[in-house]
Amino acid sequence: MINYYDPATNTTSNKPIDFNKDYGTPASTSTQTVCLEIDGVKITVAAGTSVMRAAAIADINIPKLCATDNIEAFGSCRLCAVQIEGMRGYPTSCTTSVKEGMVVSTENNDIAKLRRNIMELYISDHPLDCLTCSSNGDCELQDMAGAVGLREVRYGFDGDNHLDAKIDDSNPYFTFEPSKCITCSRCVRACEEVQGTFALTIEGRGFASKVSAGTSENDFASSDCVSCGACVQACPTATLMEKSVIDKGQPEHSIITTCAYCGVGCSFKAEMKGEEVIRMVPYKGGKANQGHSCVKGRFAFGYATHKDRVTEPMVRDSIDEEWRVVGWDEALEFAANKIKNIQAKYGRESVGGITSSRCTNEETYLVQKLIRAAFGNNNTDTCARVCHSPTGYGLKATIGESAGTQTFDSVMKSDVVMVIGANPTDAHPVFASQLRKRLRQGAELIVVDPRTIDLLNTAHISANHHLPLKPGTNVAMINAIAHVVMSEGLEDKNFIEQRTDEYNAWREFILDEINSPEAMESITTVNAEQVRIAARAFAKAKNGAIYYGLGVTEHSQGSTMVMGIANLALATGNIGREGVGINPLRGQNNVQGSCDMGSFPQELPGYQHVSDDVLRAKFEKSWGVTLDNEPGFRIPNMFDAAIEGTFKAMYVQGEDILQSDPNTQHVQAALSSLECLIVQDIFLNETALYAHVFLPGSSFLEKDGTFTNAERRINRVRKVMKPLAEFADWEVTQKLSNALGYPMNYQHPSEIMDEIASLVPTFSMVSYKKLDEQGSIQWPCNEEFPDGSPIMHVESFPIGKGRFAITPYLASEDRANKRFPLLLTTGRILSQYNVGAQTRRTANNTWHQEDLLEIHPNDAEERGINDGDWLGISSRAGDTVLKAKVSERMQSGVVFTTFHHPISGANVITTNSSDWATNCPEYKVTAVQVEKVTSPSAWQTRYKKFSAQQKEHFKRSPKKQKATIGS
Amino acid sequence: MSSSQIDNLISMLNQIETNNNYKKTDEETAMIVANHVKKFWARSMKANITKYADSDGSQLSPAIKLALAQL
Ligand code: SF4
Ligand code: SF4
Ligand code: SF4
Ligand code: FES
Repeated sequence: MINYYDPATNTTSNKPIDFNKDYGTPASTSTQTVCLEIDGVKITVAAGTSVMRAAAIADINIPKLCATDNIEAFGSCRLCAVQIEGMRGYPTSCTTSVKEGMVVSTENNDIAKLRRNIMELYISDHPLDCLTCSSNGDCELQDMAGAVGLREVRYGFDGDNHLDAKIDDSNPYFTFEPSKCITCSRCVRACEEVQGTFALTIEGRGFASKVSAGTSENDFASSDCVSCGACVQACPTATLMEKSVIDKGQPEHSIITTCAYCGVGCSFKAEMKGEEVIRMVPYKGGKANQGHSCVKGRFAFGYATHKDRVTEPMVRDSIDEEWRVVGWDEALEFAANKIKNIQAKYGRESVGGITSSRCTNEETYLVQKLIRAAFGNNNTDTCARVCHSPTGYGLKATIGESAGTQTFDSVMKSDVVMVIGANPTDAHPVFASQLRKRLRQGAELIVVDPRTIDLLNTAHISANHHLPLKPGTNVAMINAIAHVVMSEGLEDKNFIEQRTDEYNAWREFILDEINSPEAMESITTVNAEQVRIAARAFAKAKNGAIYYGLGVTEHSQGSTMVMGIANLALATGNIGREGVGINPLRGQNNVQGSCDMGSFPQELPGYQHVSDDVLRAKFEKSWGVTLDNEPGFRIPNMFDAAIEGTFKAMYVQGEDILQSDPNTQHVQAALSSLECLIVQDIFLNETALYAHVFLPGSSFLEKDGTFTNAERRINRVRKVMKPLAEFADWEVTQKLSNALGYPMNYQHPSEIMDEIASLVPTFSMVSYKKLDEQGSIQWPCNEEFPDGSPIMHVESFPIGKGRFAITPYLASEDRANKRFPLLLTTGRILSQYNVGAQTRRTANNTWHQEDLLEIHPNDAEERGINDGDWLGISSRAGDTVLKAKVSERMQSGVVFTTFHHPISGANVITTNSSDWATNCPEYKVTAVQVEKVTSPSAWQTRYKKFSAQQKEHFKRSPKKQKATIGS
Repeated sequence: MSSSQIDNLISMLNQIETNNNYKKTDEETAMIVANHVKKFWARSMKANITKYADSDGSQLSPAIKLALAQL
């Protein structure tokens, strides 16, 4: 027997985890260790580890079929049987925990025979088409047959079997081929434990048992399945298989990168054949997603190579002209000349630009740098304006840093979770799965939202509170909750004393009777007792965490509400440790990053104000220019100035402002008054229909860089294929800058990150090298926190003490009235993303082909409306037509729609009302009237005409016969 | 300077005021409004509203007038 005394082998618990390996069962979180011997190797592992995992850590790989390391062991296949000294029979190693001094044998003749018998049974009911099977080369059943040395199948294949069971290919991305199923139930357990959807069941018993999506009448498409892919990944055979692999074969190499859809920032292995992505598989080493994914990141990547991609630069002098396809040099020269002429004629401040929350940090940094250094003004803004700008303002004012305070993982330590104005199961699905896991473990849920969101329907949840407030009354609600905390003496006196300022004024304000739930009842329409019960639950929890989304920020009092949330967290001492905190759920993948990178007009990268001479001097020195010390225009100010005639040119990277910004007709008017609109995007989007210069963009698969997710985690984006249009976005910005006469000369995005690290104190120790070593970094990462900061504000706030803010409730300007008696609120759904430019170009359209107006049965009945009727929706800004969906998810008096399709014109109706501090538009409250109609709105008719005309301008441009534009 | 743009600036100022005047004197509110405008408004927006305050100013509250005087 060989004894290993090498400490590296002996203290195996310290061995780094190999995220490409399946250890069979999940890691134990215990801090205690246990020492045992497996096949003569001494191993030390965490208590609670399974024998299977302990062996795997020591590179002893016990055969297994029903176990995999992202779900709990189940012990059904028995292939992992081992012998343990002092124990009878053959215990299954996946369900047996290690014990001090245990002695395990994983291989001997008896065990081998047992395993061969088990495999023989499996294989006798399994088609033998290995050579032509889509899993060939990546099949655990095949591997196990090899591992146990199966050589013959004595039972023959003529008995009862499942070999001709029908294939279910109703899901657009994967098939279910039951004849290959070994009923290991890994899929069922993955759907329950990892995804939390409970869409799959094992029907029947014994030989008759089979996997079924929903009831036996359902197929995958008609079941509750949300197409997250967890079951496909868990399946050891070809039963659940990506259609792309069936079509194209097994991938041959893989590269780790980051999803470009939402602010969760999931890590994926892009599995490739040459330069073609075959599938995206969630990466277990990704700290934001830990091996899970949603339908968007997992499957909806086909847009990247969609035929609509525009891959050549185009220019034109007026939007009434056809596009001219030109080379890069000519396009950039054309754009630079226009900008220079406009600035010469109308002044330095007559031009500006918009950075993208979809592009990388490095690209965003370059665009704002170009605007500040080459345009010479601060007219830079970003689409975060229309979603999370109030988060920046509100959190900076109260806790000193414009970012969420926690990691996603922190929720596993929360006892009460309050979700305000967010719908995580649709907008942040992977985080929602983790949250649901915690709720199943017993945490309480409080939902503050006008809608009955899906989270409230979480299976096996112990307690939940829904406070279904009227849209626009968030501040009234948060004040009422804080009032209860204070008036019932539930505050955290210690925390308040040691960590906060300006408490007395706030205390006096919040204790005012006008803030009591009883007084606020008429405003929020929520029963006061219900509010009191929820407030008590939150205040009494050991760890209370608050998660919020755009339902908080996209209001005229968005910033006030963010401060109200911070007040509540401060008053209850829920900040500075795991399980608590203030957590903004960011919409797009890099909203956090684009804010960090200085996209806002008043702040240089790292939230350093332009008027601060010392801070500005640092940038002036590095960039070699004099910078403007006054803030520039925000997006709505740019539009106003454009209509007024003083703002003439815009450079817009990766952002469809026409579709995503409110009051579409106002935006159309503004864009039409520009003399030069430069759009850089992967598609000829709606905004580009008004453009003079089109610069083809690159998708996240075509470039290197970083995204920063909602937990401040900087993740690497890695190039897996060459840019279709030759250059990555950062290269194009650099070329434009050079054409404008401001030299930029980066060879690789890592050099841009080095520059950022030299200028932004919270990034000072971030580098690509460190990112590669650690996998990801949560900023701040500097001398004080060299490995980054998972939890912020542990000891103190960047402003010293947390500051309470006075947050009086003011009614939304856009209130329901006689003419517009209903309140419209907008949102998103799981399968589509934002303006839909990407997801609409994938099979995700299976689930959402059009935007619908959801209306409560009472309101529908009053107006004689049925499902599927055409409805005219009008507000003081405009009107549009959508199809009706009668739904009880809404309260009566409130209607809801998504904005994923341009023809819907959902933003034709949204108004210019905005947050008082940041001008973030009030998408969540618009007073409207709804009635049955027979024809599209005037706007839709005009839109169709204009869009058709632009299509012609594009089609007739030489060389461009194939592609199509717009929707 | 179009009237609609001035109207926008005025309503933005009103919003800033009403969100910050809880139990405050006009002088205190003015200071907050002035700081906010200094920190977040573009040069031309400040110039336009000041021009309006000097020439007409009828739609501005006392606190906002005080604030604009501090720019
Ligand atoms: S794709 Fe996801 S939701 Fe659908 S059955 Fe599989 S695990 Fe469940
Ligand atoms: S479908 Fe796959 S994972 Fe599910 S029971 Fe069958 S073999 Fe196991
Ligand atoms: S949860 Fe967000 S980041 Fe993760 S796969 Fe889905 S869209 Fe991508
Ligand atoms: S892997 Fe242990 S019983 Fe199946």
